[in-house]
Amino acid sequence: MTVSDNRIIVGSLAGAFGVKGEVRLKSFCAKPEDIALYTPLTTDDGRIFRVVVIIGQAAGALVARIEGIDTKEEADAMRGVSLYAERARLPHLPDDEYYHADLIGLPVLDTGGRELGHVRAVLNHGAGDILEVLAPDASDTVLLPFTLAAVPTVDLSAGRIIADPPEGLF
Amino acid sequence: MSRSVWKGPFVDAYVLKKAESSKSGGRNDVIKIWSRRSTILPQFVGLTFGVYNGKKHVPVNVTEEMIGQKFGEYSPTRTYYGHAADKKAKRK
Repeated sequence: MTVSDNRIIVGSLAGAFGVKGEVRLKSFCAKPEDIALYTPLTTDDGRIFRVVVIIGQAAGALVARIEGIDTKEEADAMRGVSLYAERARLPHLPDDEYYHADLIGLPVLDTGGRELGHVRAVLNHGAGDILEVLAPDASDTVLLPFTLAAVPTVDLSAGRIIADPPEGLF
Repeated sequence: MSRSVWKGPFVDAYVLKKAESSKSGGRNDVIKIWSRRSTILPQFVGLTFGVYNGKKHVPVNVTEEMIGQKFGEYSPTRTYYGHAADKKAKRK
């Protein structure tokens, strides 16, 4: 198996847990334990971990047993290593639901085809999702509500977002 | 000590005024407000407010579950980005 470029970061290793080769695993997933579902996980240097078993929780991290890491020394040596999953391993989503990883970086155009910027981040502070759009030649970002009215089209295949922003936003 | 019931919920007068004019005008714009202390009232449901967080106006789309909360609760003054990983966004 080779490592492809279509990967997303899902976690990182935070050293050993105990002396039996178990690792502290920091998960960046919405449900932390879901990281085990996205195996095989790869690292920057091309190492592949095919089996990840979550066995418990520690302060701020999961405790896991990872195939290929058998001793405390090996686990400690992997401290800080990022873990990536193939984008294709993520489950399909219903209409009008999108992975942040798919939206980030997409260009945002207005209904007339003028480029407004590109998506820098997707935020949610409890009142609906918000696209943080960085306009070209601008240092500050604009927050665009991710609603059907403000963002009528998300075309992932064409790689663009069509927005109809409320007046005075851009 | 909690606020006396006889006073009713606190809302800055200009927020009420702006919401009313936006609703009667039928416009789909973000109502920019600086009043993070104002209570979210039932008549605000369906409107989108831009609540100032000290740097910019954060869009807050008011829904029924938010009634009784303060606007400031939905416009954090510090932002943590984190990793996208498998996080999802839903368009409503």
